[in-house]
Amino acid sequence: MASSKKIIALFRKDLLLEIRQQYTFYGIVLYIACTVYVLFLAINEPDGSTWNALFWVNMLFISINAVAKSFLQESRGRMLYYYSLTSAQEFILAKLLYNILLMLVMSLLSLITFSFFLGGPFLHAVEFVGITILGGISMSLVFTLMAAIASRANQNAAIMVIMGFPVIIPQLLLLIRISKSAFGEIFKEGAVFQMVLLLGGLDVLVLALCMILFPFLWKD
Amino acid sequence: MKKVFATILLLTLNLLLISFSATAQTEQPEMADAMRSNGKIYVVVVICLIILFGLIGYVFRIDRKLTKLEKQQKD
Amino acid sequence: MHKSWWKIASVILLVYTIVGGFLMDVPRLFILNESIRNLYFHVSMWFAMMILFGVSLVYSIKYLSKQQYKHDIYASAYAGTGTFLGLLGYATGAVWANYTWVTDQGQSLSNILKEPKLLGAGIAILIYCAYFVLRGSFTDMDKKARVTAVYNIFAFVMLFPTIWIIPRLVGSLHPGAPGSDSGNPALNFNDIDSRLRMVFYPAVIGWTLLAVWITTLKIRTRLLADKSLL
Repeated sequence: MASSKKIIALFRKDLLLEIRQQYTFYGIVLYIACTVYVLFLAINEPDGSTWNALFWVNMLFISINAVAKSFLQESRGRMLYYYSLTSAQEFILAKLLYNILLMLVMSLLSLITFSFFLGGPFLHAVEFVGITILGGISMSLVFTLMAAIASRANQNAAIMVIMGFPVIIPQLLLLIRISKSAFGEIFKEGAVFQMVLLLGGLDVLVLALCMILFPFLWKD
Repeated sequence: MKKVFATILLLTLNLLLISFSATAQTEQPEMADAMRSNGKIYVVVVICLIILFGLIGYVFRIDRKLTKLEKQQKD
Repeated sequence: MHKSWWKIASVILLVYTIVGGFLMDVPRLFILNESIRNLYFHVSMWFAMMILFGVSLVYSIKYLSKQQYKHDIYASAYAGTGTFLGLLGYATGAVWANYTWVTDQGQSLSNILKEPKLLGAGIAILIYCAYFVLRGSFTDMDKKARVTAVYNIFAFVMLFPTIWIIPRLVGSLHPGAPGSDSGNPALNFNDIDSRLRMVFYPAVIGWTLLAVWITTLKIRTRLLADKSLL
């Protein structure tokens, strides 16, 4: 019980920090708006597959931008302070929770701006919202661990991108494939459900790896 | 003369093909059988073996040198 | 020359691979024709690569549990040789595919590059390139060893589902892939021809042992150079 309290406290701290220093949040919002607006000027009303591709590329860069901040803003002294207060698992869980929330907000926001500016060529809107949420969660999980590693490598954001890309490719492919079902592509019966299950399984795997591996990154 | 020669050649080829398809039930994928029958394949094998032995000999020499260095370090 | 039996075994197996690989009977197949013999060279590169990456993973785990600098050297050396084998596998695969898929089956290059096995291989090579970039970004040795071990474990564990997942996403032409209609026997162990198996398994072992030999040389030079640190 004590650990869950600590997790909530850490989570609240991140949330409060975000609300106090709103420039990071609005920075990402502006990033989404700019991307979509440029796309809107370049192509209006793209067809389903183009829309899908643009959307997931956008999601990828947003998640990198949003999640990279979570460890970059922690100074060395503050990390030491956390170290004296909590265990590694509690800390990473709070970070993961916060990043999932942040990514959920961002992905829904980009979905709204995308469908506002570029139109919504999907047939099953509700299904696509679900896929977006799933995608946001899996990306935030992978990039949180990558950000944690990069924060050890002299806070180098480029390193995080280099490490994260090859690892995220399979999940991205899976997401693009699943989201095609929302654009009306017919799949074999049960195939979509199976792929969603696979994605969920991957998320659990990443979560487990975070819990096991983060303590080694933590101690200095 | 040439024409006769050509027809004979074609006929023999035809005969060969017929006899071939009679023994082999279906059309076979083309393989490098010529290389096998005239023994040129052994040339390929020998050359590959020479390269392999050259590489392994090189690795072996590095191995020996390293062993010597390791012994020097110990003394 | 103590404990060198496996080096001798490697040489014998490789000689057998070349002699048997060129001279023994192979199944007659359309499209592949005589090039099925590439199985002993191209495919065994991938197998050896995966084995070496596995060894690298084991040493990374060992490093995290025991914190010995030696294990970090082992892990990075095995990952390095594995990446090299992967590049060789990619290059040989490109040549082989060029003369079978492109010319005989009329596949376009973009179709080939979307091949699940090629994607998996590309991701594997990218992951280990990232591993070496990460290694280069540290100055503190202890930190470098710890953090790169973490990344190595994470990347390897993510790599295996990848190889398993991707074939579900894109159709495959690759021989032996489920659903490929070419019916060529490679990699699919249910229908791999017994004549091929006679040379293929020894070939994999032989190439792997050679790669391990080269890796041990690399490790020994590193240990000699860093003697003062150990």
